[in-house]
Amino acid sequence: MASDPTRRAIVAAAAALPVLIAGCKGTQALGTPPGPAPDVARLRAAIRAEQDLVASYQAVLQRLSGGRGAQRAVLTAVLTEHQDHLQQLRKRLIAGSPLAAGSGPLPRPEAAALPAGARQALSVLIRAERAASDRLLSQVPEVPPALAQLFASISASEATHVIALHAAGGA
Amino acid sequence: MGAGAAGRGAGGQAAEVRVLQAALAAEQAAIYGYGVVGAHLSGTGLGAATADWTAHQEAADRLMAEQRARGVTPAPAAVAYQLPHHVGTARQAIALAELLEERVTSAYLGLVALPSADLRMLGARQVRAAALRAAAWRGTTVAFPGLTVQALARAARSR
Repeated sequence: MASDPTRRAIVAAAAALPVLIAGCKGTQALGTPPGPAPDVARLRAAIRAEQDLVASYQAVLQRLSGGRGAQRAVLTAVLTEHQDHLQQLRKRLIAGSPLAAGSGPLPRPEAAALPAGARQALSVLIRAERAASDRLLSQVPEVPPALAQLFASISASEATHVIALHAAGGA
Repeated sequence: MGAGAAGRGAGGQAAEVRVLQAALAAEQAAIYGYGVVGAHLSGTGLGAATADWTAHQEAADRLMAEQRARGVTPAPAAVAYQLPHHVGTARQAIALAELLEERVTSAYLGLVALPSADLRMLGARQVRAAALRAAAWRGTTVAFPGLTVQALARAARSR
């Protein structure tokens, strides 16, 4: 994927490499690279969660092709919001890319396992939204202020998706 | 309280009080505004407006308690507020409710940026509550409750 954040983050980190190596001494430069800073790890986890949500919505929409128009409209609107979340989260990672060095590529997006039936599939999305919203909320005290505001806002958005999915026929 | 190191100093306390007061002002405006909203609704709409009015009263009480705990007397609500637009119909009342919730959401995001973990969580929970109320009035969801495009761009640069 051309816009893969990990590739771009690594490219940005590689550009900073001479400075990092110059700052190291002797064999330390060859040692195990440090893991990402804790807030970068949380950001990467948030990106992973959004990637998976996007994949899940795409899978459900594919499953429901030819289904109810109103239901598809809700799912499409929510999918767009998750894509917006993902874009904003990725922007934060790239801006802090030197910190992301050594953290490796993000795993490929993974859609949730979907049961048969539209109602059941929507229920899977509802559970995924709740879990994602709660995870972001719990991390609000742990991350820098600007990221905390983004996490709080996305957490709130995901909480509203639960209501939208219930209204669209989810159990 | 779980205030961080920066939150315990005099400067940190002043910032907390300032942000708490801004959130309280948004809540007080919402309490006033919901009085107007409710006057133009009936049935389930009026029920929702009444429930939301109560939620804002309780939230304002909590913010005042947080201020008093910091030795500060909360600023009283204004006697009346200039409404952002004329409200003469149910549709206009609902639009006002949406706007009130959006302003409250933005105000609570201020708490989320403070060093205190407790105030951050209070802010984040209220951001969620206000976003849920706004979505209920609007009938649709948004990607970034409380954040504008400009705020997002600024924050992305500051990361």
